[in-house]
Amino acid sequence: MELRVIDKTDEELRMEVAGEDHTFMNVIKGALLETDGVAAATYDMNPEQSGGQTEPILSIKTEAGVDPLDALGGASRDVQTTVEDFSEAFEAAAP
Amino acid sequence: MMIPVRCFTCGNVIGEHWDEFKRRAREGDEDPGKVLDELGVERHCCRRMMVSHKDLVDVVAPYQ
Amino acid sequence: MTNDFEVEFIEPGERSARFLVRGVSPAVANGIRRAMVADVPTFSIDTVRFVENSSVMFDEMIGLRLGLVPLSTPIGDFEEGDVVTLALDVEGPATAYSGDLESADAMVQPADENIPIIELKDGQHLEFEADAVLDSGKSHAKHQGGVSVGYRHLQRVEVAGDAGEFEEQEPNILRGVIEEAAAEHADADADATDGDLVATDAFDNDLTNRYPGKEVEVHDVPDAFVFHVETDGSFSVEELVLRAAETLGDRAAELESKVAI
Repeated sequence: MELRVIDKTDEELRMEVAGEDHTFMNVIKGALLETDGVAAATYDMNPEQSGGQTEPILSIKTEAGVDPLDALGGASRDVQTTVEDFSEAFEAAAP
Repeated sequence: MMIPVRCFTCGNVIGEHWDEFKRRAREGDEDPGKVLDELGVERHCCRRMMVSHKDLVDVVAPYQ
Repeated sequence: MTNDFEVEFIEPGERSARFLVRGVSPAVANGIRRAMVADVPTFSIDTVRFVENSSVMFDEMIGLRLGLVPLSTPIGDFEEGDVVTLALDVEGPATAYSGDLESADAMVQPADENIPIIELKDGQHLEFEADAVLDSGKSHAKHQGGVSVGYRHLQRVEVAGDAGEFEEQEPNILRGVIEEAAAEHADADADATDGDLVATDAFDNDLTNRYPGKEVEVHDVPDAFVFHVETDGSFSVEELVLRAAETLGDRAAELESKVAI
């Protein structure tokens, strides 16, 4: 996973997340939308025909006073707890 | 020629069951559908792999 | 975020299982599904060095067949890119089976032993050494640990009223798993109670068999997914699911640490 920040202001972030695909990007986007202070979050995976850009680009917009990088950090923390909780529940139910 | 290792469509391993299927349904006279059920080859994509297969090693063997 | 997961096995099994997960968002459900298919690494033969091959198949064709043989992949002891050597030496007349493969590592063995590789006639000889590599399904489909992995919404069936008395009832086909919400009308199953999870195979996938003469409504239950998972034998369903969840968690951890800098 290679991160490259394209645009960064106090309330906006556009960042390339090289080496990832829908598997992870959609999960992190879903977590971002559930994070407090996030106004909008999306990711874009352009097809190769649209100018060679194939790595996903994550865009985040936050409400005033929230740093998008902090929001992203919080969302990745959330994904980890979600996954851990899932694994626990799954192991408990496994026969 | 030889039975494919996996089902072309779903990727399930079917080669494993070929010998038994051949023995019971081709050389024997059991109902192929029932044999496949018992072998756990459920999906019709996997079943057609077995039903439509023909071993050809004997045919090409002289031409090595 | 609320994480009240509830997992319930509907059809448990070593290589094929169906289980219900409640409280999971579609994004996470799909993430886990995709991770099971493409991100959980398995061993698979990648390079073959032939010593002798006088069978009726070309080296490449045998190489392809070998690649598709599932190899057991223990957790934890290996990293992606690790190599395990296997060898085979069979002289005709005999059939070379996947079970004839001799592995240098006792933990990495063919998961199925009766897959025919090639039938050898009198005097034909097959001998080779092969390298199995641990890699993920992203790089080649032969490394996919999960085959036919998918999920459906759990569906709730409610009886809305009676069907027209003199009408011929059309079949009402539904596949997946239903959550019983009209137990008193489930004529075929006397001990049905509301909240039961019933696989639709139980009534031949036709709701009119279970609720004869009734008008039914089917709704998806939000955030409840029924997963159907099959593995190729490299590991059990349980391990596949846990390892898939782990790869997602690992990537989230990596992102978190990189964002913090």
